[in-house]
Amino acid sequence: MQTACQAVQHQRGRRQYNRLRNLMKDARHDCVLFANEFQQYCYLPRERGEAMEKWQTRSIYNAAVWYYHHCQDRMPIIMVTEDEEAIQQYGSETEGVFVISFKNYLDNFWPDLKAAHELCNSILQSRWERENESQESHGKEYPEHLPLEVLEAGIKSGRYIQGILNVNKHRAQTEAFVRLQGTSTKDSGLVSDILIHGMKARNRSIHGDVVVVELLPENEWKGRTVALCENDSDDKASGESPSEPMSTGRVVGILQKNWRDYVVTFPSKEEVQSQGKNAQKILVTPWDYRIPKIRISTQQAEALQDFRVVVRIDSWESTSLYPNGHFVRVLGRIGDLEGEIATILVENSISVVPFSEAQMCEMPVNTPENPWKVSPEEERERRDLRRTHLVFSIDPKGCEDVDDTLSVRSLNNGNLELGVHIADVTHFVAPNSCTDIEARTRATTYYLADRRYDMLPSILSADLCSLLGGVDRSNKTLADSLDNANDPSDPIVNRLLRSMASQAMSNALYFSTGSCAEEEFHHYGLALDKYTHFTSPIRRYSDIVVHRLLMAAISKDKKMEIKENLFSNKDLEELCRHINNRNRAAQHSQKQSTELFQCMYFKDKDPETEERCISDGVIYSIRTNGVLVFIPRFGIKGAAYLKNKDGLVIACGLDSRSEWKPGSLQRFQNKITSTTAGGESVTFHLFDHVTVKISVQASRCHTDTVRLEIISNKPYVIPNTEIFHQSSLLLKSDLVKEVTRSVEAQLAQEVKVNIIQEEYQEYCQTKGRSLYTLLEEIRDLALLDVSNNYGM
Amino acid sequence: MAGLELLSDQGYRVDGRRAGELRKIQARMGVFAQADGSAYIEQGNTKALAVVYGPHEIRGSRARALPDRALVNCQYSSATFSTGERKRRPHGDRKSCEMGLQLRQTFEAAILTQLHPRSQIDIYVQVLQADGGTYAACVNAATLAVLDAGIPMRDFVCACSAGFVDGTALADLSHVEEAAGGPQLALALLPASGQIALLEMDSRLHEDHLDQVLEAAAQAARDVHTLLDRVVRQHVREATISLGD
Repeated sequence: MQTACQAVQHQRGRRQYNRLRNLMKDARHDCVLFANEFQQYCYLPRERGEAMEKWQTRSIYNAAVWYYHHCQDRMPIIMVTEDEEAIQQYGSETEGVFVISFKNYLDNFWPDLKAAHELCNSILQSRWERENESQESHGKEYPEHLPLEVLEAGIKSGRYIQGILNVNKHRAQTEAFVRLQGTSTKDSGLVSDILIHGMKARNRSIHGDVVVVELLPENEWKGRTVALCENDSDDKASGESPSEPMSTGRVVGILQKNWRDYVVTFPSKEEVQSQGKNAQKILVTPWDYRIPKIRISTQQAEALQDFRVVVRIDSWESTSLYPNGHFVRVLGRIGDLEGEIATILVENSISVVPFSEAQMCEMPVNTPENPWKVSPEEERERRDLRRTHLVFSIDPKGCEDVDDTLSVRSLNNGNLELGVHIADVTHFVAPNSCTDIEARTRATTYYLADRRYDMLPSILSADLCSLLGGVDRSNKTLADSLDNANDPSDPIVNRLLRSMASQAMSNALYFSTGSCAEEEFHHYGLALDKYTHFTSPIRRYSDIVVHRLLMAAISKDKKMEIKENLFSNKDLEELCRHINNRNRAAQHSQKQSTELFQCMYFKDKDPETEERCISDGVIYSIRTNGVLVFIPRFGIKGAAYLKNKDGLVIACGLDSRSEWKPGSLQRFQNKITSTTAGGESVTFHLFDHVTVKISVQASRCHTDTVRLEIISNKPYVIPNTEIFHQSSLLLKSDLVKEVTRSVEAQLAQEVKVNIIQEEYQEYCQTKGRSLYTLLEEIRDLALLDVSNNYGM
Repeated sequence: MAGLELLSDQGYRVDGRRAGELRKIQARMGVFAQADGSAYIEQGNTKALAVVYGPHEIRGSRARALPDRALVNCQYSSATFSTGERKRRPHGDRKSCEMGLQLRQTFEAAILTQLHPRSQIDIYVQVLQADGGTYAACVNAATLAVLDAGIPMRDFVCACSAGFVDGTALADLSHVEEAAGGPQLALALLPASGQIALLEMDSRLHEDHLDQVLEAAAQAARDVHTLLDRVVRQHVREATISLGD
């Protein structure tokens, strides 16, 4: 109801109202806004002296009754409200029109939606607690945020600076940075980001929030640490002196909270006891190091000990050390493959629900009984290359989504014609259809180590749009003349250098040409003035947009119709921001899933006996207390310490095997030397080959990490020369296959066990071996409630 | 009420009208017996009163008299209680002078002044309640008053305001919509021939949109004409009935 929306705006503010409107506008949700105040029979004038809320409730109820009669009393109309008075007053006034609370609604109308029930309970509980908590007053842990007008005035005057908070993953408790937004860099004369040191200065802001920062006076400025470190939660500087001071500040307000769903783990049993008094409230640890612990209340803490769950943050009061949140749903067991992959998806905000029914109805049909054919009008309008060109694909064997194909032809004048043919996705995906909107939301196909989540339903991505061999397909073609060009093959270090060079460049981003000056169009990595791509419309939404723009530019006669389907500059900017964001998420999730599989592969393997745990590695970066190593065989990059936690440094004896001895490290620009107290020294240069032992450092609440230790300063030569010739790519896919196989075997085992358990339940067979356990079980049986078995 | 949505996604304006919908118009002619012609019009909440004296001899200096046609003299006044805050100067201020000038230009184009050389026609318009579209209401009221006075005109003069929000042209703006600061124009039209008597705009509008907005205003003015026509016929019918008795 329109009045209900106005009530939200009135009571909760613009942001909530906008969120509500956006949810309603989303075509997938099937929501309609009824303008009851503009309808003659629904409109009720406000009475003299009547409170706004009362009038709104009365209006809504009146409109609900009108609508019920308008539908000829055929369907029940339900007005959901938490207002007790309204429920009392109107609840039983009209038959067929229900006025009930949300929980009541769920219980009576959707008793089977378990997830919704759990979420509802958890939200209600956290709300109840918040109300009770505010009655107790603790001391203030953090300073209050400044009001919005003061913040805005401060930003305008230059006193405060606005930016996005970036917490340092490795030093999440102590270091966070605010990257400057907008033109404030030029005005304030700041050259670097601002350091926020410590949790107090961060003042309850969370990684990703848009915050307002006040600079501290120069004598309070601190520097950041540059040594390698693990993700310890202690504050110690570990004896390393920080680099020179940089601009430091503190957060005085938050302009926009960018909270999302977080994956967390419950503390282990020992930790729960130490948290003490209020056993209902638990501090859970988020999977992402940068997020602080969250306080939630749940009765299921015991049962969910070894599970990963999703929570949302509700608020962070200034009286509390930690933010308050509520439980949303369970993902899976710690260490379980599906659960860990679900964790990666949630942490990257990737939502991969199956395609809706409405979407599947929009799909064309291609079955053996009813095969898809190019329609006659299309045959007339398009050029037919089926007989004139040899078109082939260079995608890997077994690839299902063939976006692009090539063709080569010699022309009469001696030149070569190179044709590039791209799948014609926009022919099947109409602008603003359900499929289009879902594809826009996903923005790209997500490739994880062992699976992919398609942007478009598989009938398009793997079948009709895919330019498979031997079947007729539509596509868009680009023909070009070619000279000869070839490039030399590279050994490992060349590959490494190239990947490091490309990593050093800032990421290319999508942008709308209407928002950027022409000088800034260039693509740095490819050294091109203007660059766009459109060759993978099956897996990239930006390519679908470019296809539509191309079609609009070419077909001048249908101008008006096409114009409506294109985006305006502002919308395109917003879309580009979204696509860039999703691309980043896709890259992160791919990296994280690869690391997950690596960890699972090396987990529980004893490095002394397993051959695979020892490998050759190349040093590609020198740090103060260690080096970064690349292992080409598995494609792993990681840190190898040369000085361990006890202060001992690495030393390589006569047999080249390493040991830990007291001593010191000396770092130079492209080498690092370890000298023991006994006078032995060993030097590691940049790009040296060393032998590395790979093990896994398990973590309960966070992702497992691969640990590398240098065990010899000589390169590692694999005894079996057969394995040496295998490319690292093949080995990676073997890795994935083996992990998947072992997981499946484990699941099969568990299923068997479960079946046995169920049978035990049903027949109540005893499991115990001793007489004592037998008697205990019989006692339990006696206490069992069997009344419902007899249908009583 | 900051951030009010002038046009919702479903096509409703703030007061529930559609984009091209006019407000409710009610008009009466002959409200004052002592004036030669008078009319009262309500366009939504905008209420305007027009009174016409003439044609009569030139008051003041004879030198101003035109040898071949009549002089049209318009005065615009808005009551002190017409706006949300009490106005201090009902007439004589800059806006009122400009409005008077615009009205004069409009009616000089419409009235057959050749028929009354060396005389003067006075049109006084008073706005009693201003809720957007005051110029349009004044013109419409003045038209009726001039007709009531029996002064021959080329055609009705019908006026309407129009604005542009979110790619759609809105007709007949209310005060809230005018205050929102978007582009707006006022159009006075002679409906039979489609000739524009006056077109006034002092905001910025992209030329690509001009056609659309102009068309919306013209259509609205034609709708006003339909209404005014009905009012005039009704008035004449009543007058003849009372005369006939």
